Amino acid sequence: MSSNPPELIRLERRDLDMLLTYESGDQFTVTYDDIRYSCPCAKCSPLRNEDESSKSLRRQIEALSPEKPKVKPVGKYALAFEWDSGCSSGIYRFERIWALANNQDPDDGRAYVHGVW
Amino acid sequence: MAESPLSVHDPNSEGSQDMKPSPQQQKQMEQAYAQMKRKMSMQEIGKKIKHKIMVLSGKGGVGKSTVSTGLALSLAQRGHSVGILDIDITGPNVPKMMGLDGRRLHVEEGRIHPAQGHLGVKVISMAFLLEDEDTPVVWRGPIKLGAIQQFIGDVEWGQLDYLIIDFPPGTSDEPLTVAQSLPDIDGMVIVTTPQDVALLDSRKSITFSESLKVPVLGVVENMSGYTIRGNGPSNSQVTISGPGGKSHNTTTDEEGNFSVTLDIFKEGGGKSTAEEFGVPFLGALPFDPGFVRGGDDGVHRIVSEPEGESAIAFSKVVESIMEQIGSSSGPGLEII
Ligand SMILES: Nc1ncnc2c1ncn2[C@@H]1O[C@H](COP(=O)(O)OP(=O)(O)O)[C@@H](O)[C@H]1O
Ligand SMILES: [Mg+2]
Repeated sequence: MSSNPPELIRLERRDLDMLLTYESGDQFTVTYDDIRYSCPCAKCSPLRNEDESSKSLRRQIEALSPEKPKVKPVGKYALAFEWDSGCSSGIYRFERIWALANNQDPDDGRAYVHGVW
Repeated sequence: MAESPLSVHDPNSEGSQDMKPSPQQQKQMEQAYAQMKRKMSMQEIGKKIKHKIMVLSGKGGVGKSTVSTGLALSLAQRGHSVGILDIDITGPNVPKMMGLDGRRLHVEEGRIHPAQGHLGVKVISMAFLLEDEDTPVVWRGPIKLGAIQQFIGDVEWGQLDYLIIDFPPGTSDEPLTVAQSLPDIDGMVIVTTPQDVALLDSRKSITFSESLKVPVLGVVENMSGYTIRGNGPSNSQVTISGPGGKSHNTTTDEEGNFSVTLDIFKEGGGKSTAEEFGVPFLGALPFDPGFVRGGDDGVHRIVSEPEGESAIAFSKVVESIMEQIGSSSGPGLEII
Protein backbone atom coordinates (compact mmCIF):
# COMPACT_ATOMS: atom_id res chain seq x y z
CA MET A 1 0.00 0.00 0.00
CA SER A 2 1.27 3.44 -0.79
CA SER A 3 2.78 5.08 2.23
CA ASN A 4 1.24 8.42 1.33
CA PRO A 5 -2.51 8.14 1.04
CA PRO A 6 -4.45 11.17 -0.16
CA GLU A 7 -5.83 13.40 2.55
CA LEU A 8 -9.10 12.33 4.11
CA ILE A 9 -11.29 15.42 4.35
CA ARG A 10 -14.65 14.10 5.43
CA LEU A 11 -15.88 11.11 7.37
CA GLU A 12 -19.62 10.59 7.58
CA ARG A 13 -20.79 8.02 10.09
CA ARG A 14 -23.80 6.20 8.72
CA ASP A 15 -25.73 3.35 10.35
CA LEU A 16 -23.57 0.44 9.23
CA ASP A 17 -20.68 2.04 7.42
CA MET A 18 -18.86 5.28 6.94
CA LEU A 19 -18.62 7.37 3.84
CA LEU A 20 -15.12 8.69 3.31
CA THR A 21 -14.37 11.64 1.09
CA TYR A 22 -10.79 12.25 0.04
CA GLU A 23 -9.13 15.43 -1.14
CA SER A 24 -9.57 14.42 -4.77
CA GLY A 25 -13.32 14.23 -4.25
CA ASP A 26 -13.28 10.44 -4.51
CA GLN A 27 -15.66 8.71 -2.14
CA PHE A 28 -15.39 5.30 -0.54
CA THR A 29 -17.38 3.32 1.98
CA VAL A 30 -15.92 1.16 4.72
CA THR A 31 -18.21 -0.97 6.84
CA TYR A 32 -17.89 -0.88 10.61
CA ASP A 33 -17.44 -4.66 10.55
CA ASP A 34 -14.40 -4.26 8.32
CA ILE A 35 -13.00 -1.55 10.56
CA ARG A 36 -13.43 -3.68 13.64
CA TYR A 37 -12.12 -6.78 11.98
CA SER A 38 -8.93 -5.01 10.94
CA CYS A 39 -8.21 -3.59 14.39
CA PRO A 40 -4.44 -3.09 14.59
CA CYS A 41 -4.17 -3.61 18.33
CA ALA A 42 -1.97 -6.24 19.89
CA LYS A 43 -4.88 -8.41 20.90
CA CYS A 44 -6.83 -8.43 17.63
CA SER A 45 -3.98 -8.40 15.10
CA PRO A 46 -2.44 -11.77 15.94
CA LEU A 47 -5.88 -13.36 15.57
CA ARG A 48 -5.74 -12.58 11.86
CA ASN A 49 -2.54 -14.57 11.42
CA GLU A 50 -4.26 -17.94 11.34
CA ASP A 51 -7.30 -18.86 9.25
CA GLU A 52 -9.21 -20.41 12.14
CA SER A 53 -8.79 -17.58 14.63
CA SER A 54 -9.29 -15.07 11.86
CA LYS A 55 -12.69 -16.52 10.95
CA SER A 56 -13.69 -16.69 14.56
CA LEU A 57 -12.70 -13.04 15.04
CA ARG A 58 -14.88 -12.13 12.06
CA ARG A 59 -17.82 -14.10 13.45
CA GLN A 60 -17.48 -12.50 16.85
CA ILE A 61 -17.52 -9.07 15.29
CA GLU A 62 -20.52 -9.80 13.11
CA ALA A 63 -22.37 -11.01 16.19
CA LEU A 64 -21.99 -7.66 17.94
CA SER A 65 -25.02 -5.42 17.87
CA PRO A 66 -24.71 -2.65 15.28
CA GLU A 67 -23.59 0.70 16.62
CA LYS A 68 -22.07 3.95 15.44
CA PRO A 69 -18.61 4.49 16.92
CA LYS A 70 -17.19 7.70 18.26
CA VAL A 71 -14.37 8.69 15.94
CA LYS A 72 -11.43 10.63 17.28
CA PRO A 73 -8.32 11.89 15.54
CA VAL A 74 -5.02 10.70 17.01
CA GLY A 75 -2.35 13.25 16.29
CA LYS A 76 -2.30 13.88 12.59
CA TYR A 77 -1.62 10.35 11.62
CA ALA A 78 -4.48 8.20 12.74
CA LEU A 79 -8.05 7.76 13.94
CA ALA A 80 -9.37 5.92 16.96
CA PHE A 81 -12.81 4.32 17.05
CA GLU A 82 -14.64 3.99 20.32
CA TRP A 83 -17.35 1.36 20.60
CA ASP A 84 -19.66 0.42 23.43
CA SER A 85 -18.92 -3.25 22.83
CA GLY A 86 -15.87 -5.00 21.43
CA CYS A 87 -12.33 -3.70 21.13
CA SER A 88 -11.57 0.04 21.07
CA SER A 89 -7.80 -0.17 21.51
CA GLY A 90 -6.68 0.12 17.92
CA ILE A 91 -5.15 3.26 16.54
CA TYR A 92 -5.84 3.29 12.79
CA ARG A 93 -3.26 5.07 10.72
CA PHE A 94 -4.67 6.87 7.69
CA GLU A 95 -2.77 4.41 5.49
CA ARG A 96 -4.77 1.62 7.05
CA ILE A 97 -8.06 3.36 6.42
CA TRP A 98 -7.04 4.10 2.85
CA ALA A 99 -6.24 0.41 2.33
CA LEU A 100 -9.65 -0.57 3.69
CA ALA A 101 -11.34 2.00 1.48
CA ASN A 102 -9.66 0.35 -1.51
CA ASN A 103 -10.56 -3.16 -0.41
CA GLN A 104 -6.95 -4.01 0.17
CA ASP A 105 -5.47 -6.01 2.98
CA PRO A 106 -4.41 -3.39 5.54
CA ASP A 107 -1.92 -5.89 6.96
CA ASP A 108 -0.37 -6.11 3.50
CA GLY A 109 -0.36 -9.88 3.66
CA ARG A 110 2.12 -9.85 6.50
CA ALA A 111 1.63 -11.82 9.65
CA TYR A 112 1.46 -9.67 12.70
CA VAL A 113 4.57 -9.53 14.86
CA HIS A 114 4.24 -8.23 18.35
CA GLY A 115 5.96 -5.23 19.71
CA VAL A 116 6.40 -1.55 19.59
CA TRP A 117 9.60 -1.52 21.51
CA MET B 1 -3.82 16.72 94.08
CA ALA B 2 -7.50 16.16 93.73
CA GLU B 3 -8.95 17.53 90.56
CA SER B 4 -11.15 20.51 90.90
CA PRO B 5 -14.56 20.03 89.39
CA LEU B 6 -14.09 23.41 87.77
CA SER B 7 -11.00 22.53 85.87
CA VAL B 8 -12.93 21.68 82.74
CA HIS B 9 -10.10 22.71 80.50
CA ASP B 10 -7.96 19.66 80.82
CA PRO B 11 -6.51 19.35 77.31
CA ASN B 12 -6.03 15.63 77.75
CA SER B 13 -9.65 14.92 78.25
CA GLU B 14 -11.05 17.63 76.07
CA GLY B 15 -14.11 16.49 74.22
CA SER B 16 -15.56 13.11 74.88
CA GLN B 17 -14.53 10.01 73.00
CA ASP B 18 -17.75 9.69 71.05
CA MET B 19 -17.82 13.28 69.82
CA LYS B 20 -14.22 13.66 68.63
CA PRO B 21 -12.63 11.34 66.14
CA SER B 22 -9.89 9.13 67.48
CA PRO B 23 -6.37 10.06 66.46
CA GLN B 24 -6.54 7.24 63.97
CA GLN B 25 -9.77 8.45 62.47
CA GLN B 26 -8.37 11.93 62.40
CA LYS B 27 -5.39 10.69 60.45
CA GLN B 28 -7.57 8.84 58.00
CA MET B 29 -9.66 11.92 57.45
CA GLU B 30 -6.59 14.00 56.85
CA GLN B 31 -5.30 11.48 54.39
CA ALA B 32 -8.57 11.33 52.55
CA TYR B 33 -8.67 15.10 52.44
CA ALA B 34 -5.11 15.32 51.14
CA GLN B 35 -5.96 12.76 48.51
CA MET B 36 -9.01 14.70 47.44
CA LYS B 37 -6.98 17.84 47.17
CA ARG B 38 -4.44 16.00 45.07
CA LYS B 39 -7.09 14.70 42.75
CA MET B 40 -8.36 18.20 42.27
CA SER B 41 -4.93 19.58 41.62
CA MET B 42 -4.30 16.81 39.10
CA GLN B 43 -7.31 18.03 37.18
CA GLU B 44 -5.97 21.53 37.51
CA ILE B 45 -2.66 20.31 36.04
CA GLY B 46 -4.61 18.83 33.21
CA LYS B 47 -5.94 22.25 32.35
CA LYS B 48 -2.86 24.34 32.98
CA ILE B 49 -0.46 22.18 31.02
CA LYS B 50 -1.25 22.16 27.34
CA HIS B 51 0.77 19.15 26.25
CA LYS B 52 2.10 16.20 28.19
CA ILE B 53 4.60 13.86 26.62
CA MET B 54 5.94 10.67 28.16
CA VAL B 55 9.45 9.55 27.29
CA LEU B 56 10.04 5.82 27.61
CA SER B 57 12.58 3.19 26.71
CA GLY B 58 12.73 -0.56 26.95
CA LYS B 59 15.83 -0.49 29.14
CA GLY B 60 18.07 1.97 30.96
CA GLY B 61 21.07 3.72 29.51
CA VAL B 62 19.74 4.26 26.01
CA GLY B 63 19.49 8.01 26.50
CA LYS B 64 15.98 8.50 27.80
CA SER B 65 17.02 11.38 30.06
CA THR B 66 19.27 12.86 27.40
CA VAL B 67 16.29 12.88 25.06
CA SER B 68 13.88 14.19 27.71
CA THR B 69 16.11 17.11 28.60
CA GLY B 70 17.00 17.71 24.96
CA LEU B 71 13.35 17.89 23.94
CA ALA B 72 12.56 20.19 26.84
CA LEU B 73 15.42 22.53 25.99
CA SER B 74 14.68 22.46 22.30
CA LEU B 75 11.05 23.36 22.98
CA ALA B 76 12.19 26.10 25.35
CA GLN B 77 14.46 27.44 22.61
CA ARG B 78 11.37 27.91 20.51
CA GLY B 79 9.86 30.04 23.24
CA HIS B 80 7.57 27.51 24.86
CA SER B 81 7.25 27.25 28.61
CA VAL B 82 8.40 23.80 29.53
CA GLY B 83 8.66 21.51 32.54
CA ILE B 84 10.29 18.13 33.11
CA LEU B 85 8.98 15.60 35.58
CA ASP B 86 11.70 13.05 36.27
CA ILE B 87 10.12 10.04 37.88
CA ASP B 88 12.81 7.58 36.89
CA ILE B 89 13.46 6.26 40.36
CA THR B 90 16.00 3.82 38.98
CA GLY B 91 18.37 6.69 38.28
CA PRO B 92 16.94 10.19 38.28
CA ASN B 93 19.67 12.04 36.40
CA VAL B 94 17.72 14.92 34.92
CA PRO B 95 18.92 17.48 37.53
CA LYS B 96 22.54 16.80 36.58
CA MET B 97 21.79 17.43 32.93
CA MET B 98 19.88 20.58 33.76
CA GLY B 99 22.56 22.10 35.98
CA LEU B 100 20.53 21.48 39.13
CA ASP B 101 22.73 18.96 40.81
CA GLY B 102 22.35 18.71 44.57
CA ARG B 103 19.02 20.53 44.73
CA ARG B 104 16.53 19.53 47.37
CA LEU B 105 12.81 19.69 47.35
CA HIS B 106 11.45 23.18 47.71
CA VAL B 107 8.15 23.19 49.53
CA GLU B 108 6.12 26.29 50.26
CA GLU B 109 2.70 26.26 51.88
CA GLY B 110 2.28 22.60 51.17
CA ARG B 111 3.06 22.96 47.47
CA ILE B 112 6.19 21.70 45.77
CA HIS B 113 7.92 24.28 43.63
CA PRO B 114 10.00 23.15 40.66
CA ALA B 115 13.61 24.20 40.36
CA GLN B 116 14.45 26.21 37.26
CA GLY B 117 17.21 24.93 35.05
CA HIS B 118 18.71 26.06 31.76
CA LEU B 119 16.46 28.25 29.60
CA GLY B 120 13.98 28.49 32.46
CA VAL B 121 12.88 24.88 32.16
CA LYS B 122 11.11 23.82 35.36
CA VAL B 123 12.35 20.60 36.86
CA ILE B 124 10.95 18.19 39.40
CA SER B 125 12.98 15.07 39.99
CA MET B 126 12.86 12.10 42.26
CA ALA B 127 16.50 12.96 42.89
CA PHE B 128 15.32 15.95 44.91
CA LEU B 129 14.01 13.46 47.43
CA LEU B 130 17.28 11.60 47.86
CA GLU B 131 19.44 12.45 50.83
CA ASP B 132 22.62 11.60 49.07
CA GLU B 133 22.49 10.82 45.42
CA ASP B 134 25.39 8.40 45.58
CA THR B 135 23.53 6.18 47.96
CA PRO B 136 21.25 3.94 46.00
CA VAL B 137 17.79 3.97 47.42
CA VAL B 138 15.62 0.94 47.34
CA TRP B 139 12.12 2.12 46.69
CA ARG B 140 9.42 -0.26 47.63
CA GLY B 141 6.31 -0.53 45.50
CA PRO B 142 3.83 1.37 47.67
CA ILE B 143 6.37 4.03 48.57
CA LYS B 144 7.32 4.73 45.03
CA LEU B 145 3.78 4.91 43.77
CA GLY B 146 2.84 7.14 46.67
CA ALA B 147 5.82 9.38 46.03
CA ILE B 148 5.03 9.69 42.35
CA GLN B 149 1.40 10.52 42.89
CA GLN B 150 2.24 13.03 45.52
CA PHE B 151 4.74 14.62 43.20
CA ILE B 152 2.28 15.01 40.43
CA GLY B 153 -0.49 16.29 42.59
CA ASP B 154 1.49 18.66 44.75
CA VAL B 155 3.68 20.40 42.21
CA GLU B 156 2.96 24.01 41.41
CA TRP B 157 3.87 24.05 37.74
CA GLY B 158 2.03 27.16 36.76
CA GLN B 159 1.06 27.46 33.10
CA LEU B 160 3.10 25.23 30.83
CA ASP B 161 3.03 24.61 27.11
CA TYR B 162 4.79 21.26 27.48
CA LEU B 163 5.50 18.84 30.29
CA ILE B 164 8.03 16.14 29.46
CA ILE B 165 7.89 13.11 31.73
CA ASP B 166 11.02 10.99 32.06
CA PHE B 167 9.78 7.53 32.97
CA PRO B 168 11.58 4.60 34.52
CA PRO B 169 12.71 2.19 31.81
CA GLY B 170 10.71 -0.91 31.02
CA THR B 171 7.11 -1.63 31.64
CA SER B 172 6.66 -1.39 35.37
CA ASP B 173 3.69 -0.07 37.29
CA GLU B 174 4.76 3.53 37.52
CA PRO B 175 3.79 4.58 34.00
CA LEU B 176 0.37 3.12 34.52
CA THR B 177 -0.16 5.04 37.71
CA VAL B 178 1.05 8.26 36.19
CA ALA B 179 -0.87 7.89 32.99
CA GLN B 180 -3.99 7.21 34.99
CA SER B 181 -3.54 10.14 37.30
CA LEU B 182 -2.50 12.70 34.70
CA PRO B 183 -5.35 13.56 32.40
CA ASP B 184 -4.90 13.85 28.62
CA ILE B 185 -1.40 12.67 27.95
CA ASP B 186 -0.66 13.48 24.31
CA GLY B 187 1.42 10.43 23.77
CA MET B 188 4.67 8.63 24.30
CA VAL B 189 8.04 9.00 22.68
CA ILE B 190 10.05 5.80 22.63
CA VAL B 191 13.81 6.04 22.73
CA THR B 192 15.90 3.26 21.22
CA THR B 193 19.46 2.84 20.15
CA PRO B 194 20.29 1.07 16.92
CA GLN B 195 21.37 -2.06 18.74
CA ASP B 196 18.40 -1.88 21.04
CA VAL B 197 15.96 -2.65 18.29
CA ALA B 198 15.32 -6.18 19.40
CA LEU B 199 13.72 -4.71 22.48
CA LEU B 200 11.07 -3.20 20.32
CA ASP B 201 9.81 -6.64 19.69
CA SER B 202 8.31 -7.38 23.00
CA ARG B 203 4.78 -8.43 23.42
CA LYS B 204 4.69 -7.09 26.92
CA SER B 205 5.50 -3.61 25.82
CA ILE B 206 2.87 -3.11 23.20
CA THR B 207 0.13 -4.56 25.34
CA PHE B 208 1.36 -2.16 27.95
CA SER B 209 1.23 0.82 25.62
CA GLU B 210 -2.32 -0.11 24.83
CA SER B 211 -3.40 -0.63 28.37
CA LEU B 212 -2.20 2.91 28.99
CA LYS B 213 -4.41 4.13 26.16
CA VAL B 214 -1.74 6.59 25.26
CA PRO B 215 -0.82 6.82 21.59
CA VAL B 216 2.76 6.29 20.50
CA LEU B 217 3.96 9.57 19.06
CA GLY B 218 6.92 7.80 17.60
CA VAL B 219 10.38 6.37 17.92
CA VAL B 220 13.61 8.36 18.36
CA GLU B 221 16.82 6.62 17.48
CA ASN B 222 19.58 7.77 19.79
CA MET B 223 23.35 7.47 19.33
CA SER B 224 22.78 6.70 15.72
CA GLY B 225 26.01 7.79 14.07
CA TYR B 226 29.23 9.57 14.85
CA THR B 227 30.41 12.49 12.77
CA ILE B 228 34.11 13.05 12.43
CA ARG B 229 35.62 16.15 10.92
CA GLY B 230 39.01 17.07 9.65
CA ASN B 231 40.81 18.94 6.96
CA GLY B 232 43.37 18.50 4.27
CA PRO B 233 44.20 19.94 0.87
CA SER B 234 41.13 21.55 -0.68
CA ASN B 235 39.04 19.59 -3.16
CA SER B 236 40.86 16.37 -2.52
CA GLN B 237 39.70 12.83 -1.93
CA VAL B 238 39.68 11.52 1.64
CA THR B 239 39.24 7.89 2.63
CA ILE B 240 38.37 6.95 6.16
CA SER B 241 38.28 3.44 7.46
CA GLY B 242 35.25 3.20 9.70
CA PRO B 243 34.02 0.57 12.11
CA GLY B 244 33.79 -2.94 10.71
CA GLY B 245 36.45 -2.21 8.12
CA LYS B 246 34.00 -0.22 6.05
CA SER B 247 35.68 2.60 4.19
CA HIS B 248 34.09 5.96 3.58
CA ASN B 249 35.07 8.30 0.78
CA THR B 250 34.50 11.99 0.77
CA THR B 251 36.03 15.12 -0.68
CA THR B 252 37.25 18.18 1.11
CA ASP B 253 35.63 21.49 0.29
CA GLU B 254 37.20 24.75 -0.86
CA GLU B 255 38.64 25.34 2.60
CA GLY B 256 39.85 21.77 2.86
CA ASN B 257 37.26 20.71 5.46
CA PHE B 258 35.42 17.42 5.42
CA SER B 259 33.01 15.59 7.64
CA VAL B 260 31.85 11.99 7.59
CA THR B 261 29.19 10.33 9.67
CA LEU B 262 30.12 6.82 10.71
CA ASP B 263 27.65 4.19 11.79
CA ILE B 264 28.90 3.05 15.12
CA PHE B 265 26.12 0.64 15.54
CA LYS B 266 23.84 -0.43 12.78
CA GLU B 267 22.16 2.76 11.66
CA GLY B 268 18.54 3.02 10.67
CA GLY B 269 17.26 0.40 13.08
CA GLY B 270 14.88 2.81 14.73
CA LYS B 271 13.48 3.84 11.39
CA SER B 272 12.80 0.36 10.11
CA THR B 273 11.32 -0.65 13.44
CA ALA B 274 9.02 2.32 13.39
CA GLU B 275 7.96 1.47 9.86
CA GLU B 276 7.42 -2.14 10.66
CA PHE B 277 5.17 -1.39 13.59
CA GLY B 278 3.38 1.45 11.94
CA VAL B 279 4.42 4.18 14.34
CA PRO B 280 6.02 7.43 13.21
CA PHE B 281 9.79 7.73 13.10
CA LEU B 282 10.64 11.00 14.81
CA GLY B 283 14.29 11.23 13.88
CA ALA B 284 17.81 10.18 14.76
CA LEU B 285 20.18 11.81 17.23
CA PRO B 286 23.89 11.52 16.58
CA PHE B 287 26.35 10.05 19.00
CA ASP B 288 27.80 13.15 20.58
CA PRO B 289 30.47 12.82 23.25
CA GLY B 290 29.49 16.30 24.35
CA PHE B 291 26.28 14.99 25.85
CA VAL B 292 28.30 13.01 28.35
CA ARG B 293 30.49 15.96 29.21
CA GLY B 294 27.45 18.19 29.36
CA GLY B 295 25.80 15.64 31.61
CA ASP B 296 28.70 15.91 33.99
CA ASP B 297 29.26 19.61 34.27
CA GLY B 298 25.60 20.37 34.01
CA VAL B 299 25.68 22.20 30.72
CA HIS B 300 23.58 20.47 28.17
CA ARG B 301 24.93 20.37 24.65
CA ILE B 302 21.90 22.23 23.38
CA VAL B 303 22.67 25.07 25.74
CA SER B 304 26.39 25.22 25.08
CA GLU B 305 26.00 24.90 21.31
CA PRO B 306 22.52 26.04 20.37
CA GLU B 307 23.36 25.95 16.67
CA GLY B 308 25.33 22.72 16.82
CA GLU B 309 24.59 19.48 15.06
CA SER B 310 22.93 17.92 18.08
CA ALA B 311 20.74 20.94 18.68
CA ILE B 312 19.64 20.80 15.05
CA ALA B 313 18.89 17.08 15.32
CA PHE B 314 16.78 17.72 18.42
CA SER B 315 14.99 20.53 16.72
CA LYS B 316 13.98 18.16 13.92
CA VAL B 317 12.65 15.63 16.41
CA VAL B 318 10.69 18.40 18.11
CA GLU B 319 9.19 19.36 14.77
CA SER B 320 8.05 15.81 14.13
CA ILE B 321 6.52 15.63 17.59
CA MET B 322 4.72 18.90 17.17
CA GLU B 323 3.43 17.65 13.87
CA GLN B 324 2.04 14.57 15.58
CA ILE B 325 0.31 16.36 18.40
CA GLY B 326 -0.26 19.69 16.71
CA SER B 327 -3.78 20.77 15.82
CA SER B 328 -4.97 17.39 16.85
CA SER B 329 -8.01 17.22 14.62
CA GLY B 330 -5.86 17.40 11.52
CA PRO B 331 -6.83 20.67 9.92
CA GLY B 332 -8.91 19.33 7.08
CA LEU B 333 -10.88 16.42 8.49
CA GLU B 334 -14.56 16.83 9.19
CA ILE B 335 -16.14 14.01 11.18
CA ILE B 336 -19.90 13.81 11.26
N1 LIG C 1 23.54 10.71 21.68
C1 LIG C 1 24.42 10.48 22.66
N2 LIG C 1 25.74 10.60 22.42
C2 LIG C 1 26.65 10.34 23.39
N3 LIG C 1 26.34 9.96 24.63
C3 LIG C 1 25.04 9.83 24.93
C4 LIG C 1 24.01 10.07 23.97
N4 LIG C 1 22.82 9.86 24.57
C5 LIG C 1 23.10 9.50 25.84
N5 LIG C 1 24.41 9.48 26.07
C6 LIG C 1 25.08 9.14 27.33
O1 LIG C 1 24.70 7.84 27.72
C7 LIG C 1 24.50 7.79 29.12
C8 LIG C 1 23.08 7.34 29.43
O2 LIG C 1 22.18 8.35 28.99
P1 LIG C 1 20.87 8.71 29.82
O3 LIG C 1 20.17 9.78 29.07
O4 LIG C 1 21.19 8.96 31.24
O5 LIG C 1 20.10 7.32 29.66
P2 LIG C 1 18.79 6.79 30.39
O6 LIG C 1 18.07 7.95 30.95
O7 LIG C 1 18.06 6.07 29.31
O8 LIG C 1 19.28 5.85 31.44
C9 LIG C 1 24.82 9.16 29.68
O9 LIG C 1 26.12 9.19 30.11
C10 LIG C 1 24.64 10.06 28.46
O10 LIG C 1 25.42 11.22 28.54
MG1 LIG D 1 17.74 8.51 33.00
